[in-house]
Amino acid sequence: MATEGEVKTTEDAPASGKVCTRFDLEKETELRFEVEAGETAEAAEQVELELLTGMAEVFGSELNRNKKYVFGPGSKIAVFTWQGCSVNLFGKPEVAYVSKDTPMLLYLNTHAALEQMRKQAERDNERGPRVMVVGPTDVGKSTVCRLLLSYAVRVGRRPTLVELDVGQSGVSVPGTVSALCIERPADVEEGFSVQAPLVYHFGSTTPGTNIKLYNKLTSRLAEVFSQRCEVNRKASVGGCIINTCGWVKGSGYQALVHCASAFEVDVVLVLDHERLYNELKRDLPHFVRVVLLPKSGGVVERSKDCRRDARDEKIREYFYGFRGVSFYPFSFEVRFSDVRIYKIGAPSIPDSCLPLGMSQDDTQLKLVPVTPGRDLTYHVLSVSSAEDGEDGSRKSLVESPVCGFIVVTNVDTQTQVMKVLSPAPRPLPRHTLLIMDIRFMDMK
Amino acid sequence: MYRTGRRCPVNMADHNKRDTEGEFFSEVLSPSELFAARSRSHKIPVRGQKDFFPDDSDEQRQRLEQSLNEHWSLISEERVERLGNLVKATWLQSEQIVELQSPAGKFWQTMGFSANGKQNLLPEEALYLMECGNLQVFYQNLPLSIQDGYEKFLSSSTVSLQQYQVFAHLKRLGYVVHRFDPSLEPSSYARQLNLPQSRDRAVKQLKRKRSASPTATSSHTEVQETPTADRMEEDECGRDGEEDKKPPESPLTASAGTAAASSDEGGGRTWWMTDDLGERSDHKPASGRSRWHFSSIPFPDLGSRGSSSSCLVPPDSSLLPGSVAVGVCDIAPWRRRINLREVKMSSKERRREEDKRRRRWDINRDREVRRCRNWAEYRELLARREGRPKGRPAHLWNREVTPLHDPRQPIPTKELLDKLSVIKSTHLLEEASSIKGSDEWRICFNVYQPDTVADFKKSNPGKPYSRMCVCSFDGPVPDLRAIKLLTYQSGDVPVVLAVVDHGDISFYTFKDFHLPTDVFS
Repeated sequence: MATEGEVKTTEDAPASGKVCTRFDLEKETELRFEVEAGETAEAAEQVELELLTGMAEVFGSELNRNKKYVFGPGSKIAVFTWQGCSVNLFGKPEVAYVSKDTPMLLYLNTHAALEQMRKQAERDNERGPRVMVVGPTDVGKSTVCRLLLSYAVRVGRRPTLVELDVGQSGVSVPGTVSALCIERPADVEEGFSVQAPLVYHFGSTTPGTNIKLYNKLTSRLAEVFSQRCEVNRKASVGGCIINTCGWVKGSGYQALVHCASAFEVDVVLVLDHERLYNELKRDLPHFVRVVLLPKSGGVVERSKDCRRDARDEKIREYFYGFRGVSFYPFSFEVRFSDVRIYKIGAPSIPDSCLPLGMSQDDTQLKLVPVTPGRDLTYHVLSVSSAEDGEDGSRKSLVESPVCGFIVVTNVDTQTQVMKVLSPAPRPLPRHTLLIMDIRFMDMK
Repeated sequence: MYRTGRRCPVNMADHNKRDTEGEFFSEVLSPSELFAARSRSHKIPVRGQKDFFPDDSDEQRQRLEQSLNEHWSLISEERVERLGNLVKATWLQSEQIVELQSPAGKFWQTMGFSANGKQNLLPEEALYLMECGNLQVFYQNLPLSIQDGYEKFLSSSTVSLQQYQVFAHLKRLGYVVHRFDPSLEPSSYARQLNLPQSRDRAVKQLKRKRSASPTATSSHTEVQETPTADRMEEDECGRDGEEDKKPPESPLTASAGTAAASSDEGGGRTWWMTDDLGERSDHKPASGRSRWHFSSIPFPDLGSRGSSSSCLVPPDSSLLPGSVAVGVCDIAPWRRRINLREVKMSSKERRREEDKRRRRWDINRDREVRRCRNWAEYRELLARREGRPKGRPAHLWNREVTPLHDPRQPIPTKELLDKLSVIKSTHLLEEASSIKGSDEWRICFNVYQPDTVADFKKSNPGKPYSRMCVCSFDGPVPDLRAIKLLTYQSGDVPVVLAVVDHGDISFYTFKDFHLPTDVFS
């Protein structure tokens, strides 16, 4: 499917001392390259990209001419051009080829349709389109979201990204659902600038562990987003793009339907899954537009390990900044007596153990105090922004946003203290902590 | 230079012999007699237990008789000791102690006490030394036989026979055994503070006149003899006292109380209900009509096969970012490439799916749904249809007896287990301080290990290895209350129950342990 463009390899690498490969792209083609995911992140394995002539974009963000963009190990990048361009790649990418076969035009048309809706909303003093992007894993949901958001920002909108993918969150650490107001196109290297996102604690990397909580948080996000739309006209017109999990069967599918209902979505973009498309057409009311879109040929399937590494990297990025260089987290001790740790969701009991006629659904949203112990080590804890009240605040705790995360690095049961990694110096802003199933070892 | 004593069976009344005994207590033996006495075997022939298992045969009866005779003859044998080895002592009936007349032997390191410049022995110590052939006790200037010793020394005001049997048994095994005096034990408060036992106390212990006899006030039989009315009263007082001390915050009553409270008024539960309702009413109906005319909004939908044009007209450039200008978009080639792969489904999901297909399930076939123009109306419709019946089964909660736990109240597994365990387990020391001492169960002896004998000091015996409580197989088994009391009195030293069965002694001990609970938080 992939057709090679003109490729010239010039061995005389300039300043960087790396192999330099020049690609000349025709109109509406894209250069796809992957950087090898190495065990050790050495500078040598990075690949640099430079736009020489013409115009090009990476997932909707335009490239500056004669600026070198650095992509670390594991990056999978597509440089698309509408008009044609030539770029230089420095370093040795694992794969690099030019493809004419890209659904970008379809995505652009989708954006145009959404923009048309925004225009109408602006004119009629209505709210803008709310879009849910669904599909199985590895079809490029996040990329499509990024693309649509970047295009929307580039035409002057202020859309909101609602991140419901608890496994691979693009906004915060894994195990959370979040919303982020997008005010500028995504950075080519770093992605969207994460400023003041609204983050809720979920606690696990798959919605299946507590689907009730997942739906509750979805509803809560929708509620907050609606409130924001009421006070912020621009946000209302901008609408939102909802990124979802790749779980499209059973409860996962129900969660999608619930999300559509909670956010009152107008458009559902189904990526590369006709069956899901048909099901949603059947189960969503007629006034919801369900659209089937192809996935890009450049989408690569990620292995389990790859996903885990990405999660780890995301947590590391939270503490140490992009590429682990910009932030310096703090490490200090917290006494058990100073904090209250909860887990959301009581341990599930088999139905056969319940009294007749009783269902245990409600327990999934309850708070269970966690006794601090050695098994707390390496767990990621969310610092809830709920006021440190007594039981009265418990109810709202589940639905309170998170103000930050800490990682327990060591537990001393003797002295009843734990050592935590924290983005801010002590003391903790709040003392109610929610435990995640996710663990992070600060090893690099 | 030699004399004989006589060893008599304990329970053989033998008073008549005393006169004659008096005459030969310092008898000098001829060499041949002496040789015979010294070379005699003192061992009772050992037989297996099965030899005594009754099978009603003559042969066995004979065997039993023979064995019994052997015992008798061994016990009634005259014992020959060196006069120089014997320490002389006098039995002071009034004080119930034995006062040494000649310097004490090696046993003084672990036994006896000094009072008023005299060396004294406790009756059980004296009796044991008599049996060992180390002591000759005189009473009214006449030597006492071992049998006399048993009769004189063992009484309700000193030690009982059973206690002596335990004492002698332990002594023979090499242990150092002292009487236990509860008043010399550090109080629970001192224990809590971990105060070292003061030297003064220890000295006092040495200078003790005489610690109260283990059976000072009452033996088993006496306890039974005490007026029952009195005891009942006492018990009742004790119980009252306990109840007073046991405030309502006792874990059992407390949990029962809260359970009752929550089931009465449904305390923590109601807000869930109201919350649910609140959540529902939260969604205000949005503005009326369906806003989007999707027919005029061209989405590149690969799914809509009905649409005639497979080509999208180029979008208005005002909708596109930057200077992007694109041409016609043909979606037809993409249609062939869409993922039609079968989805892996569990049998349950497949069945549900089949079911839906058979019924040609589509919510948009519903006329009412079709009439809805937006989400608000649609949700209202759903809410109307779903007259959700909810709540716990009433029949379980309406009556007096309710389930122990409402599964909708989540609590940690550990708490849940606690709640379910109606009969609480208890630690030996829990609430032991409030138990009143009983006469029936008391610690008799402190026991120190044999290997400490070399540097054992009566003045500072240190922490005992264990403490003995003597009881009989005929008596009752100690109840939890008795065990708690004994443990409390003993402090951090283990209490061993020496159970005497007609001379055979078995040792038992009760230990605290935790039932393992496997709780994952």
